[in-house]
Amino acid sequence: MSNQIALDRAEEASGAAAPAVELSDMSVRFVTERGVVSALEHIDLSIPRGAFLSLLGPSGCGKSTLLRVVSDLLAPTSGEVRIMGGTAREARARRDIGFVFQDASLLAWRNVLDNVRLPLEVGGGGKRGAREPRELLALVGLAGWEKAYPHELSGGMRQRVAIARALVNDPKLLLMDEPFGALDEITRDRLNEELLRVWEETGATILFVTHSVYEAAFLGQEVLLLAARPGRVRDSVRVPLPSPRALAMRETTEFVALAARLRALLETC
Amino acid sequence: MSTEALPRTQGPEALANDAALAKFAATRSREAWRRRLLPLGAFLLLLALWELSVDVFHIRPFIAPAPTAVAARLFDHAGLMLANLAPTAAEAIIGFVIGNAAAVVLATVFVHQKIAEEAFFPIAVMVHTIPVVALAPIFVLLLGNGLAAKAAIAAFICFFPTLVNLTRGLRAVSSQQMELMRILSASPAEIFFKLRLRSALPYLFSALKIAAVTSVIGAIVGEWIGATTGIGALIIQATYNFDSALLYASIVVGSLFSACFFGVISALERYFLRWGVAQSA
Repeated sequence: MSNQIALDRAEEASGAAAPAVELSDMSVRFVTERGVVSALEHIDLSIPRGAFLSLLGPSGCGKSTLLRVVSDLLAPTSGEVRIMGGTAREARARRDIGFVFQDASLLAWRNVLDNVRLPLEVGGGGKRGAREPRELLALVGLAGWEKAYPHELSGGMRQRVAIARALVNDPKLLLMDEPFGALDEITRDRLNEELLRVWEETGATILFVTHSVYEAAFLGQEVLLLAARPGRVRDSVRVPLPSPRALAMRETTEFVALAARLRALLETC
Repeated sequence: MSTEALPRTQGPEALANDAALAKFAATRSREAWRRRLLPLGAFLLLLALWELSVDVFHIRPFIAPAPTAVAARLFDHAGLMLANLAPTAAEAIIGFVIGNAAAVVLATVFVHQKIAEEAFFPIAVMVHTIPVVALAPIFVLLLGNGLAAKAAIAAFICFFPTLVNLTRGLRAVSSQQMELMRILSASPAEIFFKLRLRSALPYLFSALKIAAVTSVIGAIVGEWIGATTGIGALIIQATYNFDSALLYASIVVGSLFSACFFGVISALERYFLRWGVAQSA
């Protein structure tokens, strides 16, 4: 136990200087029937540890592609990707990366608890320091639903299960690909607030892809705007809102002005 | 056979009015009984009409026997029926197991080796287009006039639907679920057993339900080619002897066995797919 702590400390010390995510001159191109498509071009990006970064952009701007490069699902055509100072593959192998998809992607034949446990069962089991699934279910507000099956849950509840599943390995980096895109507004608002709470509780770095201006501004400390065809960084906007945030802040003049600015920028993407 | 589930709220917080719940349960059970009794009533009505027409139009027994005559033959010859059902059942079950096992193995290979699918799938389709009645004599020539030939025919007839369904089922995994497994560094075996096979089970069971019925057809058709025992042999003998009541009784026994076999597979399906997701036959 104490050994493990010492190891963790050493790891923290060696990688403390390294940002959570560092992309330098990273490009992704796909070859299709209609020729070579440039999904992302010359991306330079550095995300400090513990940050909450919103990725905002029109469809086709490569937001999802960027998450797939960071999570080692896709190799960049050129450029460099560093996660916690190492390669994306190392980060994935260390179970430092959690991913939440747009579709909750739960396994229909497993109950809620077994879905959250899945990461502990495959790929050589959970790393030491994995979190207790029941505790995570309580964190996302699903205590008492352990034995329910996915078809018995609402869309919002399924997405909560997906978040708990992504957190079970206690990842340092949480990638979220429009996780609340298919939910109704009330559920989305509630989950936005809860996600901020989860972020504070876990201290993870979060990359949150969305096409909602309000969601991007409400959640992120910083909003990165991507432009489409080819996908590139259009602008980066710091969010001046204090923490912790509450939904009521969206009615403040500051927030409205910020949203208007983001919307105007989005139109030029 | 869609089990018409009414929308219901679940979970600890959904504690509704007791009376409303009781009424809901009563409506549901009434509907369940109606679903069971209505087809039974219709069946009995058709039997009565048949019996009546044989009587009224003086149809000779060897043209079309009355249901009562068929029932009488069934009881008189119960021993003969069972003695002939045993080999047919054995052939059908052995064929079912072999044919489906081969299909499962080949579908697994197809999913992992695209090149194998590209090479062999067209051949499988072509072989499948050969009518099983035409193939039966070939199997008898190859494997002799015993159990092996009939089981082979049953296996052959089971094989193709399972191969096609299961191959499709094993591929019917969402791309996000595959990405999830890759992020978790899942091994190919883990992806197969924890994801592909489980999500293919509904496809597999709908194929197995077809196979349960067709394997019996395969065994009976096999028995038409010079067999001395089995439901198929009984059908041929009864036809040659103008013993229509026996012919009909044989058919009843054969289809009852098919229905039981189908029922067993359906029960297994309900057990393995009890996690929900509406299934339809």
